[in-house]
Amino acid sequence: MNAPEKLKTPSRSASELTCIVRVNEEIKSIVATAFRINLMALNAIFLAKRAGNAALGFGVLSNELRRFAQDLTRHMASLRDMTSGSVGSVTGVVQQQRNSAILLQAIRLSGDGVPGVREARKRGAQRLAEQHGRLRALDQRLRAAVEETQQLVELGGVLARSAKIEAAYGGGFSPALMQVSTDFAEVIAQIKRSLEVLGKERLVKD
Amino acid sequence: MKQAHCIYQNDDHRWLAIARDASKPGYLIDTNEYVVMDGDQALLCDPGGIEIFPAVFSALSAECDPTTLAGIFASHQDPDIISSLALWLEFKPDLKCYTSWLWQSFLPHFGGSESTFVPIPDPGMTIRLGSLELQAIPAHYLHSSGNHHLYDPKAKILFSGDVGAALLPPDQGGLYVEDFTRHIRHAEGFHKRWMGSDRAKRDWCERVSRLDIDMMVPQHGAIYQGADVQRFINWFAALEVGVLRG
Repeated sequence: MNAPEKLKTPSRSASELTCIVRVNEEIKSIVATAFRINLMALNAIFLAKRAGNAALGFGVLSNELRRFAQDLTRHMASLRDMTSGSVGSVTGVVQQQRNSAILLQAIRLSGDGVPGVREARKRGAQRLAEQHGRLRALDQRLRAAVEETQQLVELGGVLARSAKIEAAYGGGFSPALMQVSTDFAEVIAQIKRSLEVLGKERLVKD
Repeated sequence: MKQAHCIYQNDDHRWLAIARDASKPGYLIDTNEYVVMDGDQALLCDPGGIEIFPAVFSALSAECDPTTLAGIFASHQDPDIISSLALWLEFKPDLKCYTSWLWQSFLPHFGGSESTFVPIPDPGMTIRLGSLELQAIPAHYLHSSGNHHLYDPKAKILFSGDVGAALLPPDQGGLYVEDFTRHIRHAEGFHKRWMGSDRAKRDWCERVSRLDIDMMVPQHGAIYQGADVQRFINWFAALEVGVLRG
């Protein structure tokens, strides 16, 4: 006999797995950036302290940016948990599709009259529908979480812009504070781009 | 294409051999599957790998109602023995899989849940099928560390897993061993390499010599019958095993 025909359906799930890999890569990149913001904020706090009264506002904003970086890290950890769960669901779909397709091939070879095959196919279709349902629910949760993170990053953007304004009042430290606030704005823009990519990814193709 | 051959029948008590598939892809080792049937119950011995599931299912369905499958006997854990487990369970979720206790937590990687597996203790056990009392016979380290064969005292058939296996050339595609001397040349290298323990081999030879066997049915190659069974046991007892070459 020939080995079971190569199946088209699992390749769709394979692309869903590739999508999860892409999502994970974006999450990793955002986590690394959040870590960088945290360090930058710590440096900014020290710089503001050295600048004294002229940089009081800048110091407050640096503290807020540090908190923002910590919140962002937490958000990304929960996103990563979701994608880990989705790997399990996608794998379940791949296995079910493969099993159903091989069973179908066996049924074709055996003829339609074999007892029990209709029930077996019905059970398989039901399990597949359940697994697809779970994956769809995960996809929705992931999208909602990305939107929530986007709102958080908007706040980060506002903080970075305010820091830039405060830097202008930094007296002799103004150029250094301006440089730090520009760096904040750049990394937050980078996070925004990553979140846009994440927002476009779909674990389930319609 | 695989076909089921009836190798024993006494009323409702039958043994089917789904053996020697000349049309399977060359990169897969050829395997034999056996079905023991009694009344309205059937047991499938070493159902084989995922790749050959459609052929085995189809051959089995041609000769018996697959919904009568009550269980699967897995002599050991290898992929060519039991990697199709998930597919059989896809067809019949309540199937029981009898296998050495040693593999009870390994085989679920192929499929099945806690309720699927019936662990066979090291000394073996009785497996009831219809009115039959099949005996799981210990064959540990031949070649797997948790390994059993299946003996049907009524039919006098011993399913011997990898023991007795021969990697036969395509021109020797017969179901039964016809010329023992010619046949055993194709079994020698396999047994030397795959059977790891001389002591386990001697134990097995003594154990099965006490059984009344008309047919010894291996998982690869042709079936031994009549005097060839004892001839094989004697040959195996004298063979140096657990060696790369020589």
